[in-house]
Amino acid sequence: MKEYNVVGHSVRRLDAVEKATGTAGFTSDMKLPGMLYAKVLRSPYAHARILSIDTSEAEKLPGVKAVATHKNTPRELFNTSATMTFTVPPMVPVLDQYIFDNVVRYVGDEVAAVAAVTEKIAEAALKLIKVEYELLPAVFDPLEAMTPEAPVIHESHKKNIPGGEVIQIPYGDAEKGFAESDLIIEKTFKVPVQKQAQMETQAAVAQVGLDGKITVWSTTQTPHPTKMILAKIFSVPESKIRVLNPPYIGGGFGVRIGLSAKAEPIAVALSMLAKKPVKIVYTRKEDFIASDTRHAGYVTVKLGAKKDGAFHAMYLKAILNGGAYCSFSCETPGVLGCMGMAVYRIPNQFYYGHSVYTNTTPSGAMRGFGNPQAMYPIESVVDMMAEQLGMDPLELRLKNIMQVGDPWPLPYKCSSTGLAECIAKGARSIGWEKRGKLNKPGAKKLRGIGMGVGTHCSNAWPWCGDYDNAYITVQQDGSIHLATGVPDMGTGTSTSLPQIAAEVMGVGLDKVSITFADSASTPFTIGSHASRTLYAAGTAVVEAARDARKQVLEYAGEFLKVAPERLELKDSVIYVTGQAVGNDCSGSGVCQTGESERKSISLKELAYNAHLRNKQFIGVGRIVPDNAPPWHAHFAEVEVDTELGQIRVIKVAAVHDVGKAVNPMIVEGQIEGGVLMGIGYALSEEIKYDEKGKQLHDSFHKYMLATADDTPEIDVMIVESNDPTGPFGAKGVGETGLVPTAAAIANAVYDATGIRFTEIPLTEERVFRALAESRK
Amino acid sequence: MSSKILKFTLNGEPVEIAVSPEDMLVDVLRDKLELTGTKKGCGKGECGACTIIMDGEAVNSCLVPAMKAMSASVETIEGIGGPEKFHPVQETFMGLGAIQCGFCTPGMIMSSKALLDKTTSPTSQEIKKALAGNICRCTGYVKIEEAVMAAAEKMREKQ
Repeated sequence: MKEYNVVGHSVRRLDAVEKATGTAGFTSDMKLPGMLYAKVLRSPYAHARILSIDTSEAEKLPGVKAVATHKNTPRELFNTSATMTFTVPPMVPVLDQYIFDNVVRYVGDEVAAVAAVTEKIAEAALKLIKVEYELLPAVFDPLEAMTPEAPVIHESHKKNIPGGEVIQIPYGDAEKGFAESDLIIEKTFKVPVQKQAQMETQAAVAQVGLDGKITVWSTTQTPHPTKMILAKIFSVPESKIRVLNPPYIGGGFGVRIGLSAKAEPIAVALSMLAKKPVKIVYTRKEDFIASDTRHAGYVTVKLGAKKDGAFHAMYLKAILNGGAYCSFSCETPGVLGCMGMAVYRIPNQFYYGHSVYTNTTPSGAMRGFGNPQAMYPIESVVDMMAEQLGMDPLELRLKNIMQVGDPWPLPYKCSSTGLAECIAKGARSIGWEKRGKLNKPGAKKLRGIGMGVGTHCSNAWPWCGDYDNAYITVQQDGSIHLATGVPDMGTGTSTSLPQIAAEVMGVGLDKVSITFADSASTPFTIGSHASRTLYAAGTAVVEAARDARKQVLEYAGEFLKVAPERLELKDSVIYVTGQAVGNDCSGSGVCQTGESERKSISLKELAYNAHLRNKQFIGVGRIVPDNAPPWHAHFAEVEVDTELGQIRVIKVAAVHDVGKAVNPMIVEGQIEGGVLMGIGYALSEEIKYDEKGKQLHDSFHKYMLATADDTPEIDVMIVESNDPTGPFGAKGVGETGLVPTAAAIANAVYDATGIRFTEIPLTEERVFRALAESRK
Repeated sequence: MSSKILKFTLNGEPVEIAVSPEDMLVDVLRDKLELTGTKKGCGKGECGACTIIMDGEAVNSCLVPAMKAMSASVETIEGIGGPEKFHPVQETFMGLGAIQCGFCTPGMIMSSKALLDKTTSPTSQEIKKALAGNICRCTGYVKIEEAVMAAAEKMREKQ
């Protein structure tokens, strides 16, 4: 395998010092001169019409500088998700939200906001706003919301389907495929509401200048698209709006692809009214109840196989709970279907899926984006099929997994796969051969082993538009500046992209600095999501660096009087290929008549030489990415306490084909964190609602995240299949960590108990009841 | 409410500041003293992002009324080390990939330091218990635990 100087090395993160000393800049830490603090009044009802709203008392409270409601803010429809800005025709984005509306559609929906000199005064002012509501009937379950008698949540979206968009993906002939199958298994699964629960809540600081220019620092994962959304809402030219991270974000996991809930437009609206900078930081409770969640819903899998175990037909159906506003509710079912159909070679498939509006917190993007919802059901049914066939579930998977070049339903190719290697390594790590031999008769604590596999994408195309840009400028001292618009929400972008730039440019990482996540000083990108940042933005960085390098070598060629193709650039020195640096060429075979005797020059000297001759090397990368499938196999060992219904994960072996790990330490960290989030999805994380639509899990105390104390052994292994389309062979890794985890755990629980759970999370209560039921 | 003068030692320096009796220590640190390294993730003592060390104990500064810090010795992330001389926990967090988004990091480092101030030979279980009040959503805690273990070793070598 090719060795590189910078790429492939676990270098320390470039943001490590700032983050380890508490000096890293986050939106929630910002303070501007004269800055006001905002608080939001939220609906206590799941569905209601606002008959009247009286803010006069609030406005009179000393220290209050502005009160915003649906009466004094723009009546411009938008979608909080970035998809509003890159949905490609004939698809049209669903625009169904105002900053404030005269109808509220879930508990937590925005009614009004106050800006005051302190947060406490703003909060006190909220209590002085008088709102008269007319309660409307509400619905919380997507299946109920589809019935004819269900209340309509958005007038222009009949049957409560956002945009009326039902996704159907035919592939082969499913009906015929089932007719030809020897064995058919069908099962419906229920998946829960999971929350991103990123550590920094939604936040924004807006500054509206008297010249009309708007600057917004925020927690968004997509500064450029967010700028576009704000321009539309406030009818301001995009060139007058700057959106940036300052420059860090306390986690993302999809919760702010587009707006940070509504933090940005609320801050801008209040700043316009008050003519002062305005800061808004959501409380943790607001973050839980009023920012997007993972889609809950119902997923049906019908799998047909031949006697020899070859999968022959699959029908996949997903009805997802979209919540009160669309956000990513049109895209998520699409990705769910595509990813679910891409793992196995099944000649005949059909997918049917859509979201449904309900009076719950909007569902949007969360790490995995529909894929975990597909793979927990699919991988459960694959295990059921193996049992029916009398086959080892591992062998059954190996027999059916997608291979390079296989036809599949996606418009890009299966360009690489290391899944078989992932399965082999994971099986070794978990001790697959122990499966079925772990328990003594009569044991109260039962152990089991299970597995799950999956794939994902490496950018957002074909579900929406995807392109990326980067600038590389060689500074006058030969150091390199990289400008890229993608944020670093913790995934290491601001380290791994400079690693790529350094490698292509032929300089050390210490010579590269990066500006990122700023719509004014970086070229357009659709942002950090869809596992695309390293893959797509990285491809743009490679292009920009190649461009700059070409300019450097051309100029050096003139300077050294050598054809540029004969020059190398390494360790910041340009030299003639094959000739030792610093050597005089006279007498060597490299010399050619008429060439100067100098055969090398440092990039530093060259850049300054160029500067004195009125030239800078500026590389531009403008790319439209291909797409590539990362692959992964998770193996879990669990212990089920049959008296308490408690499940303990003993170990997860997570093996990921990432194409190429540009920074293996960062890649491992992505996977480890993903696995724990996947364990949470399987066992404990869930937001439930009461009968009036109030969220029952709205704090860290109630929403059960794994802590350090709950973390099992996680054995992460990296497989490198060197994808032909990715930068240095890399594929996406940001989301894959949790795609097959719940599947592996649920299969392990079946192995331990013989109970096939069709609903997660596997809480003590759920497991205890099922165990009691099974004893009857 | 009338303000009161709070006197305490902050990162080794004496501090005197007017606070309201209802102020929480986290807000005094972040807003009045502009030490924003201490983060606020929930304001209810449920996430640990605001962890500081008060008189040798790791505490959630969002649960400490500011006046409770009267005469106390308080350490925050800003006081334990920097580029001139990092604390071993900072060094290992940086070197071993224990940092991702960085929002839990200051609190996580302070909880780790409080543990290692008491013992430089912690067991894996002791580390997990000491950090159980600090939520990290990025790392899965694997590299964090490794970093604390490695910092303990560094500290033992120096002893």
